[in-house]
Order: sequence, then C-alpha cells, then structure tokens
Amino acid sequence: MIIIGEKINGSIPAVALAIRERNSSFIRNLAIRQTRAGVAYLDIAAGTGPETERETLAWLIDTVQDATDTPLCIDSPDCQVLLDMMPLVKKPGILNSVSEEKGKCEALLPRIAGTEWKVIALTCDSRGISSDPDVKFDIAVSIVEKAARYGIGEDRLFIDPLITALCVDGATLSSFTETLTRIKNRFPKAHITGGLSNSSFGMPFRKAINSQFLCLAVNAGMDSPIMDPCSGAVRAALYAEEALLGRDRNCRNYLTAFRKGLFGPKNTSSGGQRP
Amino acid sequence: MIDTAKLKQIVGDLDEDQVNEVLDAFIASNPANGETLAVVEACQQGMEIVGGYFEKGEYFVGDLIFAGELLTAAMEKLKPLLGGAGTESRGAIVLGTVEGDIHDIGKNIFKGMAAAAGFKVVDIGIDQAPAAFVKTVRENKPQIVGLCGVLSLSINAMKHTVEALQEAGLRSAVKIIIGGNAVNDAACAQVGADAWSRNAAEAVKICGDWV
Repeated sequence: MIIIGEKINGSIPAVALAIRERNSSFIRNLAIRQTRAGVAYLDIAAGTGPETERETLAWLIDTVQDATDTPLCIDSPDCQVLLDMMPLVKKPGILNSVSEEKGKCEALLPRIAGTEWKVIALTCDSRGISSDPDVKFDIAVSIVEKAARYGIGEDRLFIDPLITALCVDGATLSSFTETLTRIKNRFPKAHITGGLSNSSFGMPFRKAINSQFLCLAVNAGMDSPIMDPCSGAVRAALYAEEALLGRDRNCRNYLTAFRKGLFGPKNTSSGGQRP
Repeated sequence: MIDTAKLKQIVGDLDEDQVNEVLDAFIASNPANGETLAVVEACQQGMEIVGGYFEKGEYFVGDLIFAGELLTAAMEKLKPLLGGAGTESRGAIVLGTVEGDIHDIGKNIFKGMAAAAGFKVVDIGIDQAPAAFVKTVRENKPQIVGLCGVLSLSINAMKHTVEALQEAGLRSAVKIIIGGNAVNDAACAQVGADAWSRNAAEAVKICGDWV
C-alpha cells in the first residue's frame, strides 16, 4: 500500500493560517507526524490564489524537506507551477496532476520523460467530472497512451478514477470501483489512487465514511490512496483490510502497528484534529 | 385555513411526509388563489430555516440537496392551482462556474432552490470563460448573475468575468452574487460583486430581496 499523506494543504484553514504566518514548525510537525504514520509521499498543496502559489509552494517544499526525507507529491491545478517547482525538490516524487483538461498532458508529460518523476492522472476532462465509468476509462486510456509516447511506463502513473462526495453522488463508490477494475484489467502495472476524504465531504463523522470507502476501494484494487494517515480510525481500517485480504501473514503488520500506538487506545498521533 | 407558520416549520424540518400530507389536504380543499400564493411563500420561507440550520452546522450538504428536491416537489404539486397567475418568473439568473474550475455541487444546489423559489435559472455550466457569461447575459437579460468557484484561482476568474461584463456595458443592469468555498468579504470586494454567500439557501434569499 502506497500512502500519500494529504495534511499539508492550504485549503485546510489551520494550514492556511500557518502559511500566512510562515509558521514553519506547524508545517514541520505535519510532515514528521505523517512520516511517522508511514506515508510513502507527502502531498504539498498551497491552496492560495495564483499570485502567491509559487512562493507558497517553494516555502512549503523547503520547510518539509528540512524536516523529513519523505518523497514529495507536488499538488497544483496549474501544470506550469508543477514544472517550476520540480528543480526545488531534492529527489523525484509525484506530480499532482494531469488530466484531459486543456493541454495538461501535453505541457507536463514531455518534461518528465527521461526522469524518474511519477504523475497522478485524473480521469476527467474539460467536460468536468463524469460518473460514467466508460467516460473515465476512455480518459485513462488516452492519458496512458500519451504517456507511453514519451516513454513513461504505466508503473509511473497513478490513475485516479475520481472519488466524489457521497452525499451528492450516491453512486460514487460503484463508479470508482467499476472504473478501477477496467483500468487494472487493461493496465495491470498502473497504480490506482484517489482523494479518500472527498467521499465524506459535507458529512458529519467523516471517519466512518472514509474508513468504509477505503476498505471497499482497496478490496477492488486501489493501492495508493491520498488520505489522512494520522486518523486512527482510518489507519486501523487499513491495517484490518490488508490483513483480511490475506496480505498480512499472521497479522504481523497489524499487531506491530497496534503496539506502536498507530491506532487503538495508545494512539496519540491524531492530535485532536477533526476525524 | 392552512397554518402557514406550521408549514414553514415542517418544510424547514425537511419532514417530507408531513409536508405531503399538509399540501395534499390543502389542494383537496379547493383553495382560493390568494391562499395558494401564501402557501407557496410559506414553503419558500421554510428554505430560509434550512439555510439557518446549515449555517449553525446542524444541517449538512446532503440536507440542502434534499431541501431543494422537497421544495421543487412542493411547487410541482401547487403549480396546477395557480394557473397563469403566480407562475411568472420572479426574475432570471445567469449562473455558472468560472473559468479554470470544474466544481458544481453548490451551484447545482443553488440552481434547484432558486428554480423552486420561482426564478428562471440559465445555467451555463462549469469552467466558463468571461465571454460565455457576457454572451448569455446579453441574450437573456437577467436581473442577476451568479458566479461560482471553489478553487482559490476562481476569485481572479470571477474578477475577469465582472470586468468583461463592465466592458460589454452590461454590469449596471445586473446584480452579481458570488458563491463557493473561495468567497468571503475580501473576495467580494476584490471581484466587484454585489453580494457573496457560501450557503445556497441564503443566496436565494439575497436574490429574492433584490428582485
């Protein structure tokens, strides 16, 4: 399981405040806690307007890299910003993201050819976010083919079949898993990611929905969720899921994580954040 | 005579069964046109209660969506009673998510509630350039323009849209309201809009006060 930690995001009010105040110890703390929770990548998103996005991202990247060695996942809706940030990053990570919107693939993919950078591919286009698995699958095929032209193999792609809010879209899970299944059948080496917290947007007691979506999606083949790794409930669900799917012999990982206090009564890592 | 205060509250409470019961009994009583208009108004005022609960954190997005559907269904029931009178539109709203942004949850909730509240809503969709807003405003001559956006970059796009309407000589004829996660007082001033809201029910009330 490749976990991408979502907590360093300027759309979160507490993080936006830390960014405005240049509170580096707040950001360092988020990087360290997520690293201790076992993430493979730290997502970094400015969440600011375009005028301040580059300087904000540069400051965040600098602060995080000073605190941990964890590879980064640089997050921006603007591909040019992603390209401008690449030289600041010590080792190749993930670029978040391309899609079939207006020339994003054409701007970004050639520039990561011949490198070890990976990229998240959203299965949406200028028409928006479809709930139709056929539409999303076709977009995935198109992006994989474009990447192949630049020598970017499937294993460098993190394809996102798009997780939408359950309270708005009752079919969000089935649309996600149907799309995921088709993608994995066609491109077995591609990673499957998704913004887990989207599922519980606008709902109370979000951890219940996040945990269940995670389990059902992992069961269907998701292998690289973007999530809050510090939520004890979600973490416990993930360890339980992996064990239940036969990926944790004698439940070693589950028991070790429990003894380390990653979930359960000894868990202190969530630090009073919202669930 | 129907208790409009009670109706307003049960709409606000999203009590679908009771709302249906009350409206069915009302329709069966063969009411006069003036009474029907009062009932329509009570339902629409129930939406303000919904907006208040959402503001307080007691209602959530799913409740807002349901509220829009409840109001739409109520209006469908009452429409045949109104005949011609009372079905004229309260005004037209051109609505869209601005360029660079493809989010539409709030926009769609607002659209449902505004239509149920008697507005004619022309929804041009997501990721719409300023020129698209200008064209649609020119064609439809609305009283109100609604600009939606969730990403921080949408504030700039909203500003460009307002400027484009200005350049086209269309700004002074409309009221502009902005909505979405990115909006607040500062954004509203920066964009040059007339109002802002992050609450669909509140936004419909603001539009209602304008027309």
